[in-house]
Amino acid sequence: MAHYVPPKQGKFSQLIDVVVLVALTVGALFVPLWLNLAGSSKSVATPVEAPTWEALGQNTVQAAQYEALGYTPETAHDLILSRFDYSFTAGALIVMIVVIVAYYWLMLKFSESEYREVISEKFGGK
Amino acid sequence: MADFDITSGERDGMGPHGTKVGLLRVLGPAHVWALGVGIVLVGEYMGWNFAVGKGGAYAALIACWFAGILYTCVAMIDSEVTSTVAAAGGQYTQAKHIVGPLMAFNVGLYLVFAYTMLEAANAITAGYLISVVATMTGYTGELDQRPFIILVIMFLAWLNYRGVLATLTFNLVITAIAFAAIIMLFLSTSGILGGGIMQHAALFEGHELPYGWIGVLASMHFGLWYYLGIEGTTQAAEEVRSPARALPFGTLAGIMTLLIAATLTWYICSGVLPWEFLGDGVNGSVAPLFDTARLSGSNALIWFLGFGTLFATLASANGCINDASRAWFAMGRDKYLPAWFGAVHPKYRTPYRAIIFLVPIALIFALGAPLDQVITFSILSGLLEYTFMPLNIILFRKKWPMGSIKRGYEHPFHPLPAIVLLTLCGITFFAVFLGYGTQLVAMIGFYIVVSLWFHFRRYRYVDRGAQFTMPWPKPQGY
Amino acid sequence: METWNYIEYAAWGLSALFGLFLVVDWLKIDSTYSEDVLTSSREGELEAMTEESHKG
Repeated sequence: MAHYVPPKQGKFSQLIDVVVLVALTVGALFVPLWLNLAGSSKSVATPVEAPTWEALGQNTVQAAQYEALGYTPETAHDLILSRFDYSFTAGALIVMIVVIVAYYWLMLKFSESEYREVISEKFGGK
Repeated sequence: MADFDITSGERDGMGPHGTKVGLLRVLGPAHVWALGVGIVLVGEYMGWNFAVGKGGAYAALIACWFAGILYTCVAMIDSEVTSTVAAAGGQYTQAKHIVGPLMAFNVGLYLVFAYTMLEAANAITAGYLISVVATMTGYTGELDQRPFIILVIMFLAWLNYRGVLATLTFNLVITAIAFAAIIMLFLSTSGILGGGIMQHAALFEGHELPYGWIGVLASMHFGLWYYLGIEGTTQAAEEVRSPARALPFGTLAGIMTLLIAATLTWYICSGVLPWEFLGDGVNGSVAPLFDTARLSGSNALIWFLGFGTLFATLASANGCINDASRAWFAMGRDKYLPAWFGAVHPKYRTPYRAIIFLVPIALIFALGAPLDQVITFSILSGLLEYTFMPLNIILFRKKWPMGSIKRGYEHPFHPLPAIVLLTLCGITFFAVFLGYGTQLVAMIGFYIVVSLWFHFRRYRYVDRGAQFTMPWPKPQGY
Repeated sequence: METWNYIEYAAWGLSALFGLFLVVDWLKIDSTYSEDVLTSSREGELEAMTEESHKG
């Protein structure tokens, strides 16, 4: 097998590659943020009017700890009652599974073909 | 050649095949432990408690132990592979030799992102802590956290730039102090020394599993945070005096330390703080161990845990700079990234260009993005990496069966750890999907785009055969 | 009250100092040594050597 000789990369071309990578990275972090897709929001399903520790479902020990931390039933209201929403659709789950499996499949397949080339060059043919 | 000693000071990293300036071999097993535990221990001081928020206190304990199993598998698998593939770049170099170039490029990016994001999260937390200290000492104005965030990153980059021995010795000291702070808090609040303040039963009453069993699954997401980063020990491979012994020893001692620290942390915090407060790391308990110390009523404990938290963030950021720059450097050396990054400082013997390049990246994330977003990005990169590991070890054992090459450490029960790890990763993907599904897909989208870029553009600059550097026989089946 | 304002300025100042050191040293090293020396590090050299010595 012919020995593959990679081209020498110039300074400018190296710089372009770095810029591309940085742009992609920053994009991956900030695009979801701009689209407001980031983070999971908790929300209060059923607010309690004029909350007391009892109405918030806190026993005396729990209430005492909240008071020690400097909370009142009013200020602790949102903290105590907000919950995640774990409902999801089967479609969304399937999309996720397909994306993950497809990603690893793609990865292994491309890697394998590149790897065969590496091995045949390193160990000199079949 | 036969009497050449790998540990001798005179050769320290300079090889006969053309390396004029290489990394310095100066580290021992204690440094490996400090690198691994140092990165992770901050996870007990902040962040793990999001797991309580996702499923309640019991769920967080179950997640803590299942994540512990996951990471024990990671540590075992990693120890075996890395005791054999001892080079800077860690899992990246492993993937290059065992799976293939594209996988290696992806793994290298997982490493750099997981660590750089974690570094940013640490700097944010350190800035927040300093503002708390300012308030506690009577400052009434609004403290500008930015100079402190920048200072943390700049100081640690400078330390890393100046040499690996000083960097990791510094880590050893502050990690030991932070670990001692957790033990001290446990001893003095649990009733072993003096009166106990633990009230688990009363605090859990009525809130045992607030989300039911799905909450237990969901909390696996942040369960990873108890241990995330322990696999970073492998990055030191090229700077350790005897990698085949020190790496498995440091890594396995590290995971044991963390299992103890994680369980103690859960016990202390859940026995003092109500779960709704504990589980909200943004509006509630940002630093749960520190909050527990505040409720203990002891000023000495408050200061000890305050310093513990600060030291843990510094140790973690420090280790992250070390690891991310090693991975970036190793990819530059192989021309997976521009060759310019593959340079070693002739005097300090560190990958100085990689260290400098990652400073502005860390600053962008630390100053521009919210904490939970940064943490999630870091966890996702870590999770993709852990999913790669079982594939890696299965292929490793298949291509080079036992006895065909010399292994420094052989992990038991293969392929059981690999299967357990893969299963737990699957569960964690589902846990992330509950609540953070769009980010997961966005992240993988990013890796797919970068992979295509690598395969079709960047790979042309890589020397095919020469990137396989281990003195191994031809793999079976090729 | 005032103290914390000074500490803020000190933090800015120290950050600039560390940053300056990094950049100055980087430029100095890059201009003193040739690129061949700086990027001469190769992966796995010590492993190759120990393997040879095992055989020997």
